Amino acid sequence: MSELTQQTPEGGTPIAGENPVYLKDPVLDATVRMVVELAAQVWIERERRITLESLLEAQGTLSRAAIESFKPDAAQAAALKRERARFIEDVFKELRRIPPTA
Amino acid sequence: MSAVPETLPALAERADAAYLDFVEGFREYILGKGADFEDRLNEALLAEQVRRGQPWGDVEQIREYVHSLPLGRLRDRLSRTQQEMKWFALRRSFEAQRAELLAELERYDTRGPGRLELDPNFVHPPYVNVHFHLQPGGYYKDALSGYLYHYGTKVFFRGDNDHDELHSKLVARVPAPADGRVERILDLACSIGQSSTAFRRRFPNADVTGIDYSAPMLRVAHRRAVMLGDEVTFAQRLIEKTGYAEGQFDITFAFIVFHELPLRIIHETVREAARVTRRGGIFAIYDFTGTRDKSPYQRYHRWFDARHNGEPYSQDFCDCDMNAILADHGFEVAAASVGQRSGGAGYMTHWFATRV
Repeated sequence: MSELTQQTPEGGTPIAGENPVYLKDPVLDATVRMVVELAAQVWIERERRITLESLLEAQGTLSRAAIESFKPDAAQAAALKRERARFIEDVFKELRRIPPTA
Repeated sequence: MSAVPETLPALAERADAAYLDFVEGFREYILGKGADFEDRLNEALLAEQVRRGQPWGDVEQIREYVHSLPLGRLRDRLSRTQQEMKWFALRRSFEAQRAELLAELERYDTRGPGRLELDPNFVHPPYVNVHFHLQPGGYYKDALSGYLYHYGTKVFFRGDNDHDELHSKLVARVPAPADGRVERILDLACSIGQSSTAFRRRFPNADVTGIDYSAPMLRVAHRRAVMLGDEVTFAQRLIEKTGYAEGQFDITFAFIVFHELPLRIIHETVREAARVTRRGGIFAIYDFTGTRDKSPYQRYHRWFDARHNGEPYSQDFCDCDMNAILADHGFEVAAASVGQRSGGAGYMTHWFATRV
């Protein structure tokens, strides 16, 4: 255990471990976490879209049609793929926290 | 635009801010009337009490009943999840800019107004090695602990303390000593110094000192005070053994500190506060409401917070008699009224004590 994760409380209420299970089944715990995580990701996207649309509209620089017909070049496609991997990791990292035996 | 300088650390990406904005809103939803867990679970607890024909006994009995309810278990899952999400996002965002954030702290370390006094030989007592509120590394093990705490508490206070509004309000309520003399103020376990700067603003001619065991917290406290233009001394010292001379302070202050101390240290800290506060001086404490004033749900929440939110000492604090401890060490306590809120007593209460 690294120094950063070690704790040494002096008595009191025992602290729960790193990954407590609250529901009947650890899969349910992970499912709830993924749902909340998804909601966070949806909000991130919505906040960004509202920001972008407001800016683009204010500046008069882009039409909706341009967004619909956008085709990423190779570099843009690679960047999108990286973003997609981060998105999937954010939401589904919970799967790694389901213990193999419960 | 706010006239108050923005002292919150910048996040690496807009997406990080949006993520934390979500967590703040979600926290509000599950703690407040959105999901309405508190009132609904408290009503269930009160109804069960009637059904059983006797008041709830120890908290273990309450815990067993709450855990028998799907709503209770889901409430726990979501409470833990929002806290974990907050630290996950903050840690990733600050990690991405660690070098820049540390360089910024260094730039402020030696600037004024005010000063930073770190002790290179400081030894952390084992009892402080707790990850309070699940903060990764606790309050001192990561050089960025102060930044994590600052943004973490911004989310915790759900936007109501972005510019220290809460600290300012609570500091404003602290009574001055009867003789009106306020020359020196000590802020115990000041963390990032939000009460310290509020005191300096309330008493602009007083010397204000904030002490804490965490160097990363004190560095952020000093950076904030410099940015705000408030002259405060921040020193790395133990609150139970400050090293200051007897009777040196007119006001000694402790904001939500005592519930993070083992009972032994609670006694030692009150003894030390009695030593450094002058006769006629004030020792003002804000902290959690005691167990006897709590609703059944609030008693459950205390257990959960202690075990699942890194607050191991909080149950013992809520069970102890702070009035008696203060009296034992030479303080006279003005009767503290317990604020009311829906479902029971307010979560926080105060003790305004005079050194006799």
